[in-house]
Amino acid sequence: MEPGSRRSDRIAGVLLLLLSVGYGLEAGRLQADFLADPLGPRAFPLLLAVSLGVFSLYLILRPDPDPAWPPAHVLGGQLGMLLSFVVYSYALAPLGFLLATTLEMAWLSRLFGAGWRTGLLGGLGLAAALYVIFVFGLGIPLPLGRWWPA
Amino acid sequence: MDVFAQLAHGFEVALAPLNLFLAFAGAFLGTLIGALPGIGPVNGVAILIPIAYALKLPPESALILLAGVYYGAEYGGRISSILLNVPGDAGAVITTLDGYPMAQKGKAGEALALSALSSFIGGTLAVIGLTLFAPYLAEWAIRFGPAEYFALMVFAFTTLASLAGKNPVKALIASVFGLMLATVGIDPGSGVPRFTFGELKLYDGVDFLVVAIGLFAISEVLTLMEHTFLGTATRVKVETALVSMKTFLGSLWTILRSSLIGFFIGVLPGAGASIASAVAYTTEKRLVDRDGTFGAGDPRGVAAPEAANNAASGGAMVPMLTLGVPGSGTTAVLLGALMMFNVTPGPLIFEQRPEIVWGLIASMYIGNVMLLVLNLPLVGWFARILTVPRWFLVPAIAALSFIGVYAVNNSAFDLLFMTGIGVVGYLMRKAGFPLAPVILGLVLGRLMEINLRRALAISGGDFSILYASPLSKVLWALALLSLLFPWVASLLGRRIAKDE
Repeated sequence: MEPGSRRSDRIAGVLLLLLSVGYGLEAGRLQADFLADPLGPRAFPLLLAVSLGVFSLYLILRPDPDPAWPPAHVLGGQLGMLLSFVVYSYALAPLGFLLATTLEMAWLSRLFGAGWRTGLLGGLGLAAALYVIFVFGLGIPLPLGRWWPA
Repeated sequence: MDVFAQLAHGFEVALAPLNLFLAFAGAFLGTLIGALPGIGPVNGVAILIPIAYALKLPPESALILLAGVYYGAEYGGRISSILLNVPGDAGAVITTLDGYPMAQKGKAGEALALSALSSFIGGTLAVIGLTLFAPYLAEWAIRFGPAEYFALMVFAFTTLASLAGKNPVKALIASVFGLMLATVGIDPGSGVPRFTFGELKLYDGVDFLVVAIGLFAISEVLTLMEHTFLGTATRVKVETALVSMKTFLGSLWTILRSSLIGFFIGVLPGAGASIASAVAYTTEKRLVDRDGTFGAGDPRGVAAPEAANNAASGGAMVPMLTLGVPGSGTTAVLLGALMMFNVTPGPLIFEQRPEIVWGLIASMYIGNVMLLVLNLPLVGWFARILTVPRWFLVPAIAALSFIGVYAVNNSAFDLLFMTGIGVVGYLMRKAGFPLAPVILGLVLGRLMEINLRRALAISGGDFSILYASPLSKVLWALALLSLLFPWVASLLGRRIAKDE
């Protein structure tokens, strides 16, 4: 085993240890005005913080071998996907479901290897089908878009 | 308690036109979701929850739909296992071992028909088991006090930890993470807001739906990006699925044994369809594989895992319904869905909301018949679904996840939070942290804390109440044993390897 090949679990362990400390400190600050039960709001979270602390120390001391992290081009694709999720989250209300979903689908299809034209057509088809099913079939409203005149 | 009268009442609920339709929809969607490699039952159920919720279905109808997806997926998973050698979901991995060789020998139709029959028998026997055992278990569990409940939940986490992944400590970390998520929000005991950082949105707690869909569906989409070239199939031709009486009768004992194994493994917390199918397959291999034909297209090698995984999904309903403590990721999601509908499963549900439990159980009898019908003549149609290109399928899953969450809360914040949880879920998957314990922790966290605090309120702060009763002693011992189990098993395994 070459050195550094167990880095993933060590990093995860350190992050989890930090989480347990932060969570534990925040739990320690909790105070109830009156106590309905002997434990109060603090005890259970503190128990969790201590358990996580112990487990993460174990992880740091006895890490598993690293998994195969994806190569750069896959990572790029995943980042492109996540970025589009963020944009889509904000674009849904102003652009409306149909346009936002068509564009998002086209972009994702492209990331999965389809051409622009196929992606756009597929996206439009899916968006329209989902719109019909949700709005007319199930009666669940979807945003029409704030930017367009009603 | 008269089981048959209750069941008859359940059939009245299940045969109502809406519920009958939902059972069919669940069975159909379940088969579809199971057949498509990449979306398993957990994702399917999680994505459908917001739709069921937005439709304002009554809880029993929602459960009938969602449970249909759950057990239907175990039927569908075999289709791509047999035809493509790519399991449609985790429970169908073992089915590839003999299913694909059978297909290569030109016996795809036979393998599909036999596995559909095995699924039907396994599924139906499990519902019979559920009908017979669940009411008694519930009656017995009514005596559980808060201390016993606390111990029982600890036991659920430890068995899940020892079975869910390769590294039990990682599963425990995942459990604690889920429990931590559950503590966010107003503390029900004292009214103090905890871990909300002044954010009003968090006062009600972390939204179960957002976490479930992010953790399973979004992380799945990110994972699928890595395997873009997996499973895009060329057109598969399936003639009608038929199996000869001789082959069926030759596998009958295998099917019955595997159903029994599957059901009991399903009842255990932590062990689900994938473990059940593996155990059933190895058992049958030992018992009946005299000519060494297992692995080379033996029909019994297809029958065993398919009977077992369907029986396991029925068995997994037992602890979820009777104790309110789910044993797997998918049943935890189902439990979370019920809680969204303000229904808390547990022993009392059999008395207080019989229409939910018995309606569900009755619908499972009906659903299994529907699934058999769907999966015999229509199997060619489902096989054609496998040719849907990946560039369309994966974005469609993402789109459905987003609309579902948006339809419930209309909030961009939730979509971003879901994306964030998806990234966490992806990193966890990669690093070997199982996801099911997170959802179990999130679903059980509040109950676990409430029971702990109730127990100590009864005892006036004396911790010995937690292990005072014989039952809680047994539960703590079982929890400890299950934690030691993987360690002992690897030690034994090493010794056996040395002997050989």
